[in-house]
Amino acid sequence: MFFKLALSNVKKSVKDYAVYFLTLSFGVCLFYMFNSLDSQQSMLLLSETQHAIVKSMIQIIGGLSVFVSVILGFLIIYANRFLIRRRKKELGLYMLLGMEKGRISRILVLETFVISLFSLGVGLAVGAFASQGLSVVSAKMFEVNLNNFRFVFSAGAFLKTILYFGIIFIIIMLFNTVAVSKYKLIDLLNANKRNENLKIKNLGLSVILFLISVVCLVYAYRCIIHNGMMEINLEFWQAIFFGSLGTLLFFMSLSGFLLKVLKANKRIYLKGLNMFVLRQINSKINTNFVSMTVICIMLLVTIGALSSGIGMASAFSGGIKEATPFDASIISLYDEKNKKSVLQDGEEITKIIGDKLDEISDEHVEISLYQLPIKYGDIFFDSGVGEDRKLSLGYFTETGIVAMKLSDYNSVLKMQGKEEISLPENEYIFNCNYDAVKEYYDKSKYKSISLDGREYKLYKDDMLGIQYETYMTLNDFGTFVLPDKALEKYKPAQKVLNINYKGNAELCEEKFKKEIFDGFNLNQRFIEVTAKTVRDQSISLKVMVSYIAIYIGLVFLITSVAVLALQQLSESSDNVERYALLREIGAEERMINRALFAQIFIYFMMPLALAIVHSIVGLYVANRVIMVIGRINIAWNTVIAAIIFLAIYGIYFAATFLSCKGMIREKSKD
Amino acid sequence: MSILKVENVEKYYGNKGNLTKAVDKVSFEVEKGEYVGIMGASGSGKTTLLNCISTIDFPTAGHIYINGKDITTLGSKKLAKFRREELGFVFQEFNLLDTLTAFENIALSLSILGTNPNEIEMRVREVASRLEILDVLKKYPYQMSGGQKQRVACARAIATNPSLVLADEPTGALDSKSAKMLLESFERLNSELNATILMVTHDAFTASYCKRIIFIKDGKIFNEIVRGNDTRKEFFHRIIEVVTLLGGENSNVF
Repeated sequence: MFFKLALSNVKKSVKDYAVYFLTLSFGVCLFYMFNSLDSQQSMLLLSETQHAIVKSMIQIIGGLSVFVSVILGFLIIYANRFLIRRRKKELGLYMLLGMEKGRISRILVLETFVISLFSLGVGLAVGAFASQGLSVVSAKMFEVNLNNFRFVFSAGAFLKTILYFGIIFIIIMLFNTVAVSKYKLIDLLNANKRNENLKIKNLGLSVILFLISVVCLVYAYRCIIHNGMMEINLEFWQAIFFGSLGTLLFFMSLSGFLLKVLKANKRIYLKGLNMFVLRQINSKINTNFVSMTVICIMLLVTIGALSSGIGMASAFSGGIKEATPFDASIISLYDEKNKKSVLQDGEEITKIIGDKLDEISDEHVEISLYQLPIKYGDIFFDSGVGEDRKLSLGYFTETGIVAMKLSDYNSVLKMQGKEEISLPENEYIFNCNYDAVKEYYDKSKYKSISLDGREYKLYKDDMLGIQYETYMTLNDFGTFVLPDKALEKYKPAQKVLNINYKGNAELCEEKFKKEIFDGFNLNQRFIEVTAKTVRDQSISLKVMVSYIAIYIGLVFLITSVAVLALQQLSESSDNVERYALLREIGAEERMINRALFAQIFIYFMMPLALAIVHSIVGLYVANRVIMVIGRINIAWNTVIAAIIFLAIYGIYFAATFLSCKGMIREKSKD
Repeated sequence: MSILKVENVEKYYGNKGNLTKAVDKVSFEVEKGEYVGIMGASGSGKTTLLNCISTIDFPTAGHIYINGKDITTLGSKKLAKFRREELGFVFQEFNLLDTLTAFENIALSLSILGTNPNEIEMRVREVASRLEILDVLKKYPYQMSGGQKQRVACARAIATNPSLVLADEPTGALDSKSAKMLLESFERLNSELNATILMVTHDAFTASYCKRIIFIKDGKIFNEIVRGNDTRKEFFHRIIEVVTLLGGENSNVF
């Protein structure tokens, strides 16, 4: 009997539940998709490096999922509260008929159970299919083939989803039970009576607040554009503070300001239902400006995460080609603590490996790096570059400059197919490919060094920027290439062996790692870097950052729109009466629909519009950061992000509009 | 010419097995400038009749002509147009939009009508001064007294110069002082602006302000009295007599 009542209640209020259901299903679907990544990776032909990163990604996503489920939990409780509030009168009637509170709670528990079961089912089903799509996307991003595409169902993710959402549902059931036990019959029966105590603000004050908010926002933008995002200092926090304050004031005053401005224009204000729509929005925002602010900031995070996250990831992979000029490098370590080389006198990597090297390579070169008794700090900072710079470069200033013999430099140039350089006796080449250092070096006017009583001048008064070893990034902080004679008396601090493979690259890579690097037990004193490892790593990193950004972004997005939708729907009981009145005084159905559309549209667009303005500024600043790292523009990613974003926003908007329209219609049929 | 002509209007609820005749073959006419009251006990069908006239509900049979137009044959779109151009409403519960000021509530009916924005302000002020609510124009409904709210609703109803003003228990939610003020306003609108008013009430005092009263019982017209040259007090006593007669029949049941 109670089950039947609960079931028919659910059926009856399907329209009310639409947004609730949509949100739950979306949440479940996302949760499953991202937690099923580990079963999907079995389909992908991943290298070991990639496997390792995917593993850590899955761990991070697992941790994030706890956070996500907390957010979704709050959202679901919020949505549930709205549903209960809408049904107060019905619950009151049950009580009036003599039903005990315990039984009413039981009906609500059953209802929640039915809805939850249903949305869990739909969410998991959609998630199971959507995750197949995700595998295809993963394959594309990892730049590997799907070895055998088949339908993968992740039992682990399935159980995890059920567990997490099960806990959320149980909390909701408890929540409802407590809520019901607190209700008083008189309040429930009078729930439909409108709360007449509207918060209406002085419009003149709104104009002043609005101007203050604009000033705050402009100041915040100026701070962040001037300061950038890399340095977290007072100016950065100022930008955050004034940005948030400006946003809050903006929503507090916007509708009042618009009202004031449009009121002056009678042609617009007194046309059709414009006045009504404006007042509707005004009354809603006046009570909800805090949540509007939070939503706006969450949307900003979403836009930022979706576009910038992906952009940042592709920036990581941007400089890979330049950073890995050789198939593989073996680089000797340097004992920083004792300022001592790990190499023994006259030791050479080529000699240790011996003939084995010829099996994989025809083309290889070993170079020596020296550390001279001159410090970087002496060169860069004693000549006009400020103290603040010294801080950001840290220990680097206290390190002796790295030097290289011209003959080694030329052999590297030759191996890279570049023209060799003949250097005059008293000159040096400055080689550097790390942007920040390049900038400092440019600024310092120090253009000569003295070594062992001899002056060396900068070659051609310019710097070069080749990468002389294969490494994860462009990592030359500044190498001084000197004539061979100048370094004769010094001992090499480090040695680097650069190798280009011959024949089958995959076989060579395997041989290089297993037989050479591990075979000769080099890992104590050397590191190996291969172009393939770097590429795999950066691709995996890209996938990881993208997935995490998309996961967080989507959850924030759904939370924001769901709250917007619920706020519009929760107002609907008041709206029903208002719109019925409009109908009675002769407004046509088309006019009413247009007014409803405008009301919901403007309500949905307001936080989005400000979030977009915020993110244009944010992305402009972030783009500069990303361009420093990898020179990749994020415009393209922004387009994809925008499409996903608008699709979800649109679905929620449509669902809200149709639900509201349905509610208004219902009343007119009575 | 009559503004309103009700011809054999019937409104049935339920199905064949269980038929309720809420309105049963009612016919009457209202001339321009008349102030007519419809009286009856609750459940007598007076509100159903008013709903049919106000095009909110449709009669099962019969015709209703307003300004010579048969409103029972109009489509829903034309009905909305008809409603906003020809009718004005005053409800028991005021039905003001709580988000709008008094000025805006009155202006809304004009802006829905598509009146020139420059004219709207003038018209609102004119109507407001007639109803003595100029000083509350800037207030919101929650800041007004019941009487003020009802006069704002009244201003909204007549701002568009409707052919017919329909009032459903307009004093129902007012205290006696406010009720009196409102009824005096109605009387003035009727005599000065020649507004045609049809008011539904079950209160004899309220009804005594009308020029003619139609009594309804069980869906049928029971009686009709005209004030003529009587004072209001005399008219009130005549109404009471009819009301007693109306109720009196019930007492025969025992």
